[in-house]
Amino acid sequence: MSIVALGIIIAIKVVVILAIILGIGAYLTLVERKVAAHIQRRPGPMVVGWHGLLQPLADGIKLLTKEDILPSSANQVLYNLAIIMALVPASLVFAVVPFGPEIHVFGYDVKPILTDVNIGIIMAFAFGSLAVYGVALSGWASNSKYALIGALRKAGIIISYEVVITFAALGPIMLAKSLSTYDIVMAQIHQKVWYIFLQPISFVVFVFALLAETGRVPFDIQEAEAELVTGFTVEYGGMKFGLFPLVEWYVEVLSLSSILTVLYLGGWSPINIPFVGFVDPLFFLGPWSGFIWFIIKVTILFLLVLWLHWTLPRYRIDQITTIAWKVMLPLALFNILITAFIAPLLRG
Amino acid sequence: MAYIGLLSLLAVMLGLSVVLISLNWLLGPKKKEPYKTYPYECGVPLYDDTAQTTFHQGYYILGLLLLLFDIEVAYLFPWAVVYNYLGIFGFIEVFLFLLILTFGLVYAWKKEALDWQFDLESL
Repeated sequence: MSIVALGIIIAIKVVVILAIILGIGAYLTLVERKVAAHIQRRPGPMVVGWHGLLQPLADGIKLLTKEDILPSSANQVLYNLAIIMALVPASLVFAVVPFGPEIHVFGYDVKPILTDVNIGIIMAFAFGSLAVYGVALSGWASNSKYALIGALRKAGIIISYEVVITFAALGPIMLAKSLSTYDIVMAQIHQKVWYIFLQPISFVVFVFALLAETGRVPFDIQEAEAELVTGFTVEYGGMKFGLFPLVEWYVEVLSLSSILTVLYLGGWSPINIPFVGFVDPLFFLGPWSGFIWFIIKVTILFLLVLWLHWTLPRYRIDQITTIAWKVMLPLALFNILITAFIAPLLRG
Repeated sequence: MAYIGLLSLLAVMLGLSVVLISLNWLLGPKKKEPYKTYPYECGVPLYDDTAQTTFHQGYYILGLLLLLFDIEVAYLFPWAVVYNYLGIFGFIEVFLFLLILTFGLVYAWKKEALDWQFDLESL
């Protein structure tokens, strides 16, 4: 493969990831508002465009034309660095997400994954952990009490569930014998089983940790609008304010849902009958059906997160961290023990 | 070579975030008013000048626990990958390790490091 072709392929992949972060991420705000509205039996945004379809654009223009404000007692460098530390690591997780099977286009074999390295899962968790810096810096630099309390709560939740999520992910890694995201999906296809069927405990723990790390209900105590207004974003305005919910509620939910799909739901593989094989109702799409399956799985997970968000009440901060250490961590350790027994029985 | 894609995405995202941060300064209005940059606190004058002071000890203990367990999970990743090739030796070795780890968790539990000790504060 020539240097030019390699460059073009990388450029296309980077553009696709940018489109996911900015385009889909922005439009998920509309999806969220529509779903929330219909759960509460009201129509949601209806004015801008047909059924509010242009609402994200209107919101974006509004945020961009607001005044740039620096709170009088804030630290300017850290205040702006917090935004970079929130946005950049969250988007880098997409670099290790395999969106589909290897495809053959214009004479080249292309894997639809930006960085196919043998430590993909570790990189995903490493970038996920870096999110704590954006949160902690924003709360500390704004020098406001509400922001500091919100940032500390969120930081406490992230560092508690970071441990849980990595212990939970050890189960699928033991079964797949690989840390590469692409190879984990291939292992599930070869063994003809989605790991959700072999790792139900670890799956549930992972979903809880996903909700906690992304600040979704029932773990959204860091913003708790009734007591903290919006927590660590309270001193931010305009587009700087817009980026925090975009990253936390949409980019991180999408990236962690993708990692969850890779680990437990077989990535791009079609509907699975455990140990028998795969049934693909979308067979007529050829190799492209994999991409559709991946999108369907991530969409279902996102709608599940929205459903929980607009249905449940929230926990207190000490309850959240206590659940992480007293329930989730022992469950994840127990799961490693079970997996150690069933992993040698699995062929392939 | 495999990391070129990651590095180019990192460069693009860094540039994009700098642009997004500065767009408000470029496009927004600039009117100076004395109370516009006042820190948010319920509309009353600030009780303390700064918020960067002490906070609840529960967060500090969480940080200590994270150091303990996150480093130990890093040791388990290589083991998980090659587990099937190690046989009974790998199983016993790591379960001694996990036993010590669980003992650490039980110790923290018994010392009530996992609770937030609100009852001590109210005394």
